[in-house]
Amino acid sequence: MKSTKFTPVPLTKAETDKKWWEIGDFFRRNSLWLLMYCTGCCAIELPPAMTSAYDMERLGMGPMATPRQADILLVSGYLSLKTLRRLIYTYEQMSEPRYVVALGSCPINGGIYHDSHAVINQLDQYIPVDVYVAGCMPNTEAVMNGFVDLMDQIKHKRANGWKKYHENYSWYKANQITSLGEVDVHDEFHE
Amino acid sequence: MANIEYLLLFLVGSAVISYFLTRLNSFIGSIFTIFATMFVFVSLAAYGFNMNLDTTVSLLPWFSFSQTYLGFFFVIIIAFIYLMVSFFHPYFLDKYPYKNSYNLLFLLSLAGIIGAFYTDHFLQLFFFFEMIIWTTMFLIPQGKSREAAVSYFGFSLTGSVALLIGIFVIYQNVGRFDIQAGLAGISGTTSVFVFVLFMIAALAKLGTFPLHIWLPLAHGNAPHPFSPVLSGALVKLGAFIGILALIKINPIGPVIGAIDLALGQYIIAFIGSLSIVFGTLMAIKEDDAKKLLAYSSMSHGGYILVAFSALNGFAFAGGLYHILAHALASAGAFMAIAAVARATGTTKMKELGGMIHKMPITYLAYLIAIISMAGIPPMGGFISKWLIFQAVIDRGMILIAVAVFFGSVGSFLYVFRPLAALFLGQEFREYKHVKEAPLLMLIPTFIIMGLNIYTGVIPKQIIDFINNIIGENTAFAPVVATTFTVTATYGTLNAGLIALIFGVGVAIAFIIFILMKKSRKVELMDTYTAANFVHDEHLLHYSVDFYAPLERMYEKQSHWMKKFYDALAHKVKEVGKLAKYLFMSNNIGVTLIWILVIIVLLIGVVAL
Amino acid sequence: MIVNILVGIGIALFGFALQTSIGGINRKIVGRLQKRHGPRWYQEFIDIFKLLSKRGISHGWIYDFGVIMALGGIIATAMFMPLTVDIVAFKQFDNFFIFVYLLAVGMLGMAMSASGSGNPWASIGVMRALTTMLAYEVPFLIVALTIINVSDSSSLTAIQAFQQTAGNNWFIIALPLGGLVGVLSLMGMLGKKPFETYIAPAEIASGPMVEYGGKQLGMLFILHEISVFIEVSLFVHLFLGGASNIFIFLIKYFTVYTVVNLISNVNGRFKIDQVVKFFYKWPLLLAIIQAFIAIYLGWVI
Ligand code: SF4
Repeated sequence: MKSTKFTPVPLTKAETDKKWWEIGDFFRRNSLWLLMYCTGCCAIELPPAMTSAYDMERLGMGPMATPRQADILLVSGYLSLKTLRRLIYTYEQMSEPRYVVALGSCPINGGIYHDSHAVINQLDQYIPVDVYVAGCMPNTEAVMNGFVDLMDQIKHKRANGWKKYHENYSWYKANQITSLGEVDVHDEFHE
Repeated sequence: MANIEYLLLFLVGSAVISYFLTRLNSFIGSIFTIFATMFVFVSLAAYGFNMNLDTTVSLLPWFSFSQTYLGFFFVIIIAFIYLMVSFFHPYFLDKYPYKNSYNLLFLLSLAGIIGAFYTDHFLQLFFFFEMIIWTTMFLIPQGKSREAAVSYFGFSLTGSVALLIGIFVIYQNVGRFDIQAGLAGISGTTSVFVFVLFMIAALAKLGTFPLHIWLPLAHGNAPHPFSPVLSGALVKLGAFIGILALIKINPIGPVIGAIDLALGQYIIAFIGSLSIVFGTLMAIKEDDAKKLLAYSSMSHGGYILVAFSALNGFAFAGGLYHILAHALASAGAFMAIAAVARATGTTKMKELGGMIHKMPITYLAYLIAIISMAGIPPMGGFISKWLIFQAVIDRGMILIAVAVFFGSVGSFLYVFRPLAALFLGQEFREYKHVKEAPLLMLIPTFIIMGLNIYTGVIPKQIIDFINNIIGENTAFAPVVATTFTVTATYGTLNAGLIALIFGVGVAIAFIIFILMKKSRKVELMDTYTAANFVHDEHLLHYSVDFYAPLERMYEKQSHWMKKFYDALAHKVKEVGKLAKYLFMSNNIGVTLIWILVIIVLLIGVVAL
Repeated sequence: MIVNILVGIGIALFGFALQTSIGGINRKIVGRLQKRHGPRWYQEFIDIFKLLSKRGISHGWIYDFGVIMALGGIIATAMFMPLTVDIVAFKQFDNFFIFVYLLAVGMLGMAMSASGSGNPWASIGVMRALTTMLAYEVPFLIVALTIINVSDSSSLTAIQAFQQTAGNNWFIIALPLGGLVGVLSLMGMLGKKPFETYIAPAEIASGPMVEYGGKQLGMLFILHEISVFIEVSLFVHLFLGGASNIFIFLIKYFTVYTVVNLISNVNGRFKIDQVVKFFYKWPLLLAIIQAFIAIYLGWVI
């Protein structure tokens, strides 16, 4: 007869790491802090999401002041070339793991600005996006739903944008440079 | 060598030798100075602690010496600071215009100090005081500011004239120049008169409130290696005179009932507290790191006055402990600034930044010094301030407590400023080539760091020695101390335990830190700028007008104060000019004649 | 000695757990105040553990060392804190001044680390924090002077015992003016509105914390919780008669923190010089009057 006594199976390093990662994921998905990069008109949907109407704090979410502290980079709307450069800079300053949520149809395909000379059309050419919330503008329920989706993705280990950015760094960089061009003069007025 | 007379002669002799050696080669001369100072320090330390020095006189007929615990306490601190500073000489001397005489004057002033604290004769005390003032007065302008030297001389002169008059008043009443007998012999109105005169001398030397103008000028402009001596050691002469006046003379006057303290002492404590407040406010505003530390010395002078005027064993012990702690702290801080100034050529905080990446050890020295200076455990300054607090609370001196607490919290503000602006923050490109101070300069830095911690963790030996002083000079009860604890009116302070627990706390924090994921190393310039691109590190360095909102609140008043002091300084300058005309003529004989004339006149006046 | 140290660590841990839970509950209370649901009561724990699990950045050794020194100093301070008259790690060494000055080590470490990050906002935040400290500390220390003088000891357990003896009132009643000053100073210490000028997220991007993320920020959060624990307990012990058992301590602690938090939530924010002016006007005056009355005239209710 087989012994019913509990014999602990020694875990390999990879397995322990995975366990820790899962525990970490629990904390991460229940405490998502936003850095609101309010570039477009979609930003107007955020106040109701934060205040008493939808109260995102009950999901453990809240606004933060700087990219270092935040988990989510919230891109709310269209991105001109000037803001894109700063968005990438901000994204690279964030602590890992980091997630990107994009609001509105503008970051998906350009939205109503699709033929503008100054606005980029597809955000995920430049930085990886984990969740898109479509609509012009998406209503607040949709925005909240997007956040819940992100939590779900984190739970199922599908929110891997930040890893992709590392893996395909050269591809992203090339795209960024094609659109923005190299910067020759390094001072405050030329960038 | 255990004879004071020989020590003095040795110092004078080696001063002359060092002059010629420095003439040959400034490095050799400075090394010689280090050894001479070290020899004197070691002799003092080896024999002085147990009062085993030989005080007999055979070669200097007019002199007589005696040793006291009080005098030794001061001598050993000052000699130690001299020794530490002498390690800096080899690297600084070449910059000074009269470098040949630098070591000569340095050693002579040390001789003056040893004489001043070991003599038992008032006139010799005055003589040694003058010796210190005259030698140091020629050291200060080596920092290339004559104005500083003149104002230093002017104020010192005020002090010494007051001292001299006081001495003659004592002589007139007691008929002897013996210090102990003289101080014990006076009473009534005479003692009040002498008290006032001695206090003027003390305030002038200590650089406290009404007579503080010379302090930032002299400290700020003195040669970099001389500032630690000036602040850590020489101003303590004032504290010595202050003790003579406050504790030994202690005139009987009206007593303030509520706090059970004589009016004279209360006034001095009040002057001390004004000094604390003004020193703190001015230090917060100051941009030059050395002047900032000078103002901090002014505020610490205030603490020392408050401590000695509280007339209480704890306060007295606290005051003496503070003298030691502040000497170590301010010497450490000034030496760190001197090392930075040597590497960069400036002490202005707005021109400096990020020195920590080049000079980490100097940074640590400064850090430990300011922790002690701000009275934060586990450094020496905490124990002394704690004792002073006990006394202030015990007496119920509320208004003075406001100043004492204000100065204590305010010191966090001003000591942090050089830390943030000069050592931390962005790394400036113009200092990319800068290197850490050379090994010879790091030796004293390490020693002072160690002592700052030692005084804050193991108070036993120091308190024991202070108890000797208490027994020798006062009727106060000694302070109870075990290896790590000090007991005062309102409880026991366990300095060792605090240090241990601090260590435990840091260990826990370190474990948390090390267990978690390793951080990604980024450049200093890769910092949150609201996504703006900034390529000039000067724009990201916050150091000018650091406490602007606070400074704004008393800017007008400080302006008004400055005007007043400017007018005063003008007057002082005029006095200085007169003094220059009279005393600084090229002919030494004229000077000597003048000194003799003054002395004779005073004797005449007093005798009549 | 080992046992005492373990008790001390236990108290620090307890303080952390207590304040983190009560902080979470208070977030919920504030949420209700604003007609929201508010987060779960253990949200603050999740936040802290999440931060610890993230991979942050480092700006060099002083940036890390400052954080360690800060947290170490604060843990050390908490280890000296008595919970009740009996539960204290180091009997008779829980001197009042230790709490004021050992806390300063932690603050110095944090300030050092923040300035070491090279961000100007961090330095501005530190400057504001220190200026605020200069404002609230002096009135508070004057009231503490009165309390120490009246109760004849500076040990926190002795001060508690003094208030608990029959015939003596809590100091908030015995020294009413001082009690008022104590509440105001406590709000300054906790950085509650209207005195939270040094955080100011929208103005200087959360001040000293601007560059922190990952474990460093997590450690600063732990530091913040423990320092709130120290400050509120200090208030409880000095003014509210301390506690004779742990439940009374919990009740008093919870009440004080919640009341202060509620006051804070209906206030705006002062400018930094307004903070200084405010504290040097009424609180300081009241503190001095209180000290005069209590020490010179001996009027203690
Ligand atoms: S999606 Fe529509 S609402 Fe949103 S930014 Fe674009 S245009 Fe504005």
